Amino acid sequence: MTLTPEIIALLMLDALFLFFSLIALVLSVRIFLKWDMHSTHALQYSLEKQSYLVSVVIKYIFTLKIPLFLFFIFTCNKLSNIITGAMCAAGVVNSVDFGLYLTVFKIINLYFFGFWLLLNRADMKEEKLPFTKLKFLLFILFFVPLLAEIVLEISFFSSLNISKIVSCCGTLFSAASTSYLSLLFKVDKTLVVGIFYFFAFLIGIAYFLKNSVVFIFANGMFVIFAIVSLIVFFSTYVYELPTHNCPFCLLQKEYYGVGYVMYVTLYIGTFFGIGGTILNGLLRSDDRLFLKISLLFDTLYVLIVSAYPLSYYLKNGVWL
Amino acid sequence: MKNKINLFLVEYAINALVRRGGKHFFIGFIFTFLIFLLSSTLFISDAIKLELGSALHALPEITLQRFVAGKQSDVPIQRVDALLDIEGVKSAIPRVWGYYYFKPAGVNFSVIGMDAFSRQYTQTLQTIVDGIDMKALEKENGMIVGEGVKKILGANYYQDFFNFVTSDGQWKKVFIAGTFNASISLEANDMILLPKKIAYEIFGMDTTRATDIVVSVSNPKEISMVVNKINLLYPDMRTITKDDIRVSYQNIFDYKSGFFLSLFMVCAFTFFIIVYDKLSGLSSEEKKEIGILKAVGWSMDDIIKEKFYESFILSLGAFMLGICFSLFFVYGLQAPLLRDIFMGYSNLKPSFNLPFSVDGGMLCLLFLLSVPIYIGATLIPTWRASILDADEVMR
Repeated sequence: MTLTPEIIALLMLDALFLFFSLIALVLSVRIFLKWDMHSTHALQYSLEKQSYLVSVVIKYIFTLKIPLFLFFIFTCNKLSNIITGAMCAAGVVNSVDFGLYLTVFKIINLYFFGFWLLLNRADMKEEKLPFTKLKFLLFILFFVPLLAEIVLEISFFSSLNISKIVSCCGTLFSAASTSYLSLLFKVDKTLVVGIFYFFAFLIGIAYFLKNSVVFIFANGMFVIFAIVSLIVFFSTYVYELPTHNCPFCLLQKEYYGVGYVMYVTLYIGTFFGIGGTILNGLLRSDDRLFLKISLLFDTLYVLIVSAYPLSYYLKNGVWL
Repeated sequence: MKNKINLFLVEYAINALVRRGGKHFFIGFIFTFLIFLLSSTLFISDAIKLELGSALHALPEITLQRFVAGKQSDVPIQRVDALLDIEGVKSAIPRVWGYYYFKPAGVNFSVIGMDAFSRQYTQTLQTIVDGIDMKALEKENGMIVGEGVKKILGANYYQDFFNFVTSDGQWKKVFIAGTFNASISLEANDMILLPKKIAYEIFGMDTTRATDIVVSVSNPKEISMVVNKINLLYPDMRTITKDDIRVSYQNIFDYKSGFFLSLFMVCAFTFFIIVYDKLSGLSSEEKKEIGILKAVGWSMDDIIKEKFYESFILSLGAFMLGICFSLFFVYGLQAPLLRDIFMGYSNLKPSFNLPFSVDGGMLCLLFLLSVPIYIGATLIPTWRASILDADEVMR
């Protein structure tokens, strides 16, 4: 176990979140079971008051958790300096068996938390608080991945062994490796890239047809294929090296931290595409704002990743 | 987005902070001080790490030490030839050096033996050697000393020579032929440079042996291969690569700042409780204010928001103030007192400027360590205040 300042910061905030989320959980269960908007009982009155506390606490946790994700990746990048063999966050994350699950949980939670915050905002705006019950049910459900994330993160940092030799991203993300990641490379590159552009196109069509189901579906598939195509195809053009397929090295200084821009635009685009559209369905409104944001950022993402291969081709006259 | 920041609420929050200045000043002051301490330590440790890192750059790729029964011992010089036969090795230089303990002042001098015309392994040493006539030095029994050494010897009445006590109890008189110029004081402050012959005599070493061997490798990618070959050739030699040193530096400083941070955690927790307590105890005046606000139509959400703005403005202000103070303290004043924690203290410790090394990641880290804790501490008291009923408190 190593205690660098960054790890201590993350662990400390985790402890704080655990404490607050437990309070919120107990109160949410009570509110969920006993909430009755039409009751004039003193219990309902105190529940209404408590619901404010819970939403403030959850807002606090979730609003911090979202930037903390980037900080986590930043920490792993920094740790790669002291862990033998690791050259970027990929090696650090994979140095522990469940490192990949931790990252996956973190990404899933980002969508959950964001959606909860959106729902909370919509709920507070209505004077009848129509989503209160749903909101707290969702928190009780989201508490499980949140807890899993915190527990995994704590055990991740405590089982991190700096003297163990780990693999660098060059071996993890290659067809030669034996992990399930290598399966990605068995698939034809052009097929993956084709599917990626197909779903990007589908998002555009769904936007004009105003079909929310297709919009959600297209966004969901878009985010998956965006990451897969980034690993197998687009990243090689960022590095200008056909053998370098790492989604983490993008975040490093050598590439001007372009990864942060890519991932943030991808997240905003798909998050509003999925979460915003679901919320619109719940509200029965056809406010196009979320869809516009989603379309804008999805397009931005496509433009950024496409710019790299195109400029490479224009400069060198060949594809990698 | 429709959820814009309500500027009137922000204005109200600032006014509220000013109105109850005394109470908030105390919290703000402590918080600023905590952040100041924390950021200063992290800045210092980062700056020293950077300084060491740049010194590391000049070092040879591999240092070889011989270990006999777990203790470092001298290396036979003929091993150099075998090392030079390894493919990829650019040069292998045996070094004769060691520490000489000077009892009256309680300090260690680094004594380094030099040959005339031999190539040096760092740029600094090369410039030094280029500047002096080793042959003449050898003839007149002289040595070149660092500024710090010169000062200490002077204080002990050794103005132009020094009597070394050799390992067999003899006195060895060596004349001070000159000092290094000040530009290299970081590396050469505690250094004494003299001909190899005299060094052997002072340490009582066999002239067929050297203290260690430094190996430089032209291609950095071949370092690990060369290390493997050396380990096979001489199992009793320990190889220390540049990378090993870099990692151990990082570990040491992470450990030191981590240690400090753990102490900080205790302070932060205490602070958490102080804030919680301070904000929970609402005066009757404050209660009345909340009652009036509710009576004029503020919702619980508005009050929570206003209180949040208050705590956010306070903590962000304290954060920025603390960072500014510590930037000034560390880079302006060169961190008196605090830097000794990291440097250790010694009469011969060179004075050097802490290089500026603040980046976005560092600021992020400091922000995450301070502001969320403060806001976390205010959450429950804020909510407590906001649920007060208008009719009850105004009665």
